[in-house]
Amino acid sequence: MRKMTAKIIMVGLIVLSASAAFAHSPLCSCFDNGDGTVLCEGGFSDGSSASGVRIFVKSESEEVLSKGTMNESSEFEFKKPEGAYTVTFDGGEGHSIVIDGSDIVE
Amino acid sequence: MKFKVVFLNLLAIVAFAIPAFAHFQMVYTPEIAVNKGDQTQLKLVFTHPFEAGHTMDMGVPEEFYMLHQKGEEGKTKKVDLKSYLKPITWKSLTNSGKAYEANLPKKIVRSMGDYTLVLVPAPYFESEEDVYIQQITKTYMNVGGMPGNWSVPAGLKTEWIPLVKPYAMWTGMTFKAQLLSSGKPVPNADVEVEYMNHAPEMKKNGFAKKANSEAPQDAFVTMGIKTDAQGYIEFAVPKAGWWGFCALGSGPDKEFKGKELSQDAVIWLKAVDMK
Repeated sequence: MRKMTAKIIMVGLIVLSASAAFAHSPLCSCFDNGDGTVLCEGGFSDGSSASGVRIFVKSESEEVLSKGTMNESSEFEFKKPEGAYTVTFDGGEGHSIVIDGSDIVE
Repeated sequence: MKFKVVFLNLLAIVAFAIPAFAHFQMVYTPEIAVNKGDQTQLKLVFTHPFEAGHTMDMGVPEEFYMLHQKGEEGKTKKVDLKSYLKPITWKSLTNSGKAYEANLPKKIVRSMGDYTLVLVPAPYFESEEDVYIQQITKTYMNVGGMPGNWSVPAGLKTEWIPLVKPYAMWTGMTFKAQLLSSGKPVPNADVEVEYMNHAPEMKKNGFAKKANSEAPQDAFVTMGIKTDAQGYIEFAVPKAGWWGFCALGSGPDKEFKGKELSQDAVIWLKAVDMK
C-alpha cells in the first residue's frame, strides 16, 4: 500500500513539474540586416534560451529554402530569399511561431 | 499689536502651506514595453512630476548608459549613451530648465530583451537647502516580452533592485523593490513616491497643462514610505501611468565640493490599465 502511494505521489510530481515546464511561451523576432541577410533571434518568455531550436525558411509553396538551429546566442542568420517567404521557429508542439517575410524589415 | 499677531500667523500658515514637492530625476520615454524595437527618444529632466512644477537645470551627466540582456542566460551588453545626449529646454508649468534628450537609433534597441537605462547625473546645487542632490536613476525598457537582467543589480553606488518587472505592471499590482547602497540593503530609509500627473509632451519638451489627478492634500502629492529591515518596499499602484520612487540620501557619498550631498536612488515604473 505504501509503495502504491509513493508511486502515485511520484507520478503526480512528474506530471506537475512537466506541466510547469510548458508555462512559458515562445518568442521570435527577425530583422532585415540590409545587406542581403536576415537575423532572427528567439527565446522563451521565462527568459530561457532558444539555443538548438530548429528554424525553417520556406517559400510560398512551402519549399524549405534554408534550415538550421538557433546558435548559443539564440540567433539564426540566413540569406534573404528573392520572393515571398516565411520563417518558422520550431520550438516543439504548441511552441512554434511563423513569421511572414513581409513583416521582416530593416 | 493684534494686527502684528494676525500677520505673523498668516505668514506662518503660508509658509507651512508651501507643498513639500519632491525632486525627481526623470528618464522618460512614452512606451517601455514594445513588441518591436525601434528608434527611441528619451527625455532626461530634473523636476517635480506631480505638479509639473519647478524644473531644475541639469549639468552634463556623469554617466548615461544602458545594460541590455536578451534572456536570463544571455550576456549583459553595456552601451554608452552619452554620445546621443543633446541639451534641450524643458518647460514646466512654472518655469523652464536645462534638460537633455537622447535619440537612440533602432540598431541599438532593436533586439529583444531588457534594457536598463542608467543615469548618473551631475550633482545639482539646491541653494535653498545649501546641499547638493545627485539622483542616480534607473528606467527599464523591454522589447518583445523576453526578460533579461531586470532584477540584476547594475552595481551603482545606490540603486533599487525591482522584484517585479517595472515595465510589466497592470494598474493595481504591487510593486516590490530592494534598496541597496554599495551593494548592501538599506533599512529604514525614507522613500518619496510621486505620480507623473502631467503627461510629458515629447515634441513640445514640456508637461501637458492638464492634470490626470487631484491630490486632496499635500501628503498625497509626495507620498512617504520607508524601507523595511532588509531594505524592501512594497507599493500597490493605484493608477495607470508613471510612478517614481526616490530613496533620499541612500548613497555612500555624503559630501560634494565641501557641502552636504544627498545621493539618492530613483526608479521608475509604468502601470497600464487592463482592458
